[in-house]
Amino acid sequence: MIYLDNNATTRVAPEVLDAMHPYLGQLFGNPSSVHALGREMKKAMEHSREHVASLIGAADVNEIVFTSCGSESDNWAIRGVLATQPEKKHIVTTLVEHEAVRNLCRLLESEGYEITWLGVDHNGELDLDELRGAIRPDTALVSTMLANNETGVLFPIEAIGRIVRESSEALFHVDGVQAVGKIPIDLKNTAIDLFALSGHKLHAPQGIGALFVRNGVSLPSWIIGGGQEQGRRAGTSAVPNIVGLGAACRLAHEDDGHARIERLRNRLEDEILKTIPNARLNGVSDRSKRLPNTSNISFAYVDGQNILMHLDQAGICVSTGSACHSTTSESSPTLRAMNVPYPVAQGSIRFSLGRYNTEEEIETTLGVLPDIISKLAAMSPYQEELNAERGSFTGLND
Amino acid sequence: MELSAQLCDHFFRPRNVGDADEPSFTGRSASLSCGALVRFSIQVDEAHLISQARFRAAGCDVLTAAASVLTEQVQGVTTAEAAGIEAVTLSQQIGSEKVRCVELACNALLDAIREYSNAARDDWAGDEALICTCFFVSESTIEREIQTRGLTSVAEVTRACNAGGGCGSCHQLIQEILETNDLPR
Repeated sequence: MIYLDNNATTRVAPEVLDAMHPYLGQLFGNPSSVHALGREMKKAMEHSREHVASLIGAADVNEIVFTSCGSESDNWAIRGVLATQPEKKHIVTTLVEHEAVRNLCRLLESEGYEITWLGVDHNGELDLDELRGAIRPDTALVSTMLANNETGVLFPIEAIGRIVRESSEALFHVDGVQAVGKIPIDLKNTAIDLFALSGHKLHAPQGIGALFVRNGVSLPSWIIGGGQEQGRRAGTSAVPNIVGLGAACRLAHEDDGHARIERLRNRLEDEILKTIPNARLNGVSDRSKRLPNTSNISFAYVDGQNILMHLDQAGICVSTGSACHSTTSESSPTLRAMNVPYPVAQGSIRFSLGRYNTEEEIETTLGVLPDIISKLAAMSPYQEELNAERGSFTGLND
Repeated sequence: MELSAQLCDHFFRPRNVGDADEPSFTGRSASLSCGALVRFSIQVDEAHLISQARFRAAGCDVLTAAASVLTEQVQGVTTAEAAGIEAVTLSQQIGSEKVRCVELACNALLDAIREYSNAARDDWAGDEALICTCFFVSESTIEREIQTRGLTSVAEVTRACNAGGGCGSCHQLIQEILETNDLPR
């Protein structure tokens, strides 16, 4: 199996598994317990906290609070910030956020909050002047992602943070789930108040997340119970998962595999765009403005789910922006916000690479993809449009 | 997702992809919610049987498989019979709950049959005007049924003499006949 769906989730790294193993066996204590076993657990947990803090450049380890997942972190951050400023009823966010933020903001809209939904241009980028203009005295929160999960497009969170600070008292929350472990992050000298991350995106297991809460930002507890996490997040600490997250953060911090992943991604992307006439990149072409592991490519006039299933049959795992389920069916909100035409958005495939992909796997993928696309293109009802694409095609990199 | 054997077979090896030979009749159906598009083209022989059915689709697995299965099912059958294929039944046959996607394929076929029916009606060289080309019901037959039975709706006409029971392209015409025969009672 060739796994090119690392933005969905990642394989637990062997180093992570090794680190976790004792905590699923003889080291089973509760870190809140005072005895030796409990203290041992507590120590492991605090060690992990240091690794997390170090990976994202937090100034103080105590700014890291463990949660169960990225969505919990996002939900807690947003709800918490609003609870501390009941008089402010305005939120600024974007149309391309992950569901954890987007759907929560939709819900808040129905609860009486006013949301300014910032759009993006055809490259998937924000207009910072629009952002500046959207912030008001009653803005409680600005929430944007760092890296888009579908296209990998990066938002300039440092610049956004400066704008938020300069022009308001609003707090700034960043959904960093898709970026952590893939690009360097240094929160110390930014104006980011809250930053969400999730373990399973960086080779830790599923079921562990964290929220960076800048010192001085007050965030009421979301899960009420015991005094875990310095009273900020109740619930018995998931030590094995926390240890896993710590090990994964250390691995991401120390590892020099990112350049290799980027090289493989570039090879895949270049070759597809060069050889397949109806292929086009979704997201800014400047790679410094995208995650190094992600390529979102539309194969115009053929269906993404069809491509996905043919690749699946060939043992290759990818994602598509077009989802057809028995109950729902819609094209990706991110691609819609980018104004990607319908029959183009429909054929979008997300290739997201990871540390275990090899050159050989990329070549195999490049070997099977053109035949799948040409077979589906031959079946497409859009023959005139496809002929026009073939006619004007010279290979984008020529 | 797990696919039924038939669905899988028709999805990975779709039958009758392309365009029917000329002269052919074409129908399309698109979904505004998912963006899928499917196109059917059929050829109808002198005995009014579908002699060739081809499709093209840009849509999900179920749409593709349903369209492929349909092209086989309608081969050699009357347009009336083909128009009568229901999405719910076809969905059950191919083992999918996505009736919506199957319906898209059925609608494109229906659209092609309607195009055929409209052309056949225009080309009809018989003595009496032909209204329902699926069940070969003439204008005078429909008028007689309306008058003798006091029919007032298209559905009643269909029940009485089958007219309008196929592709539905003549419903407007039947409605007009009903209006001109709307005798005071």
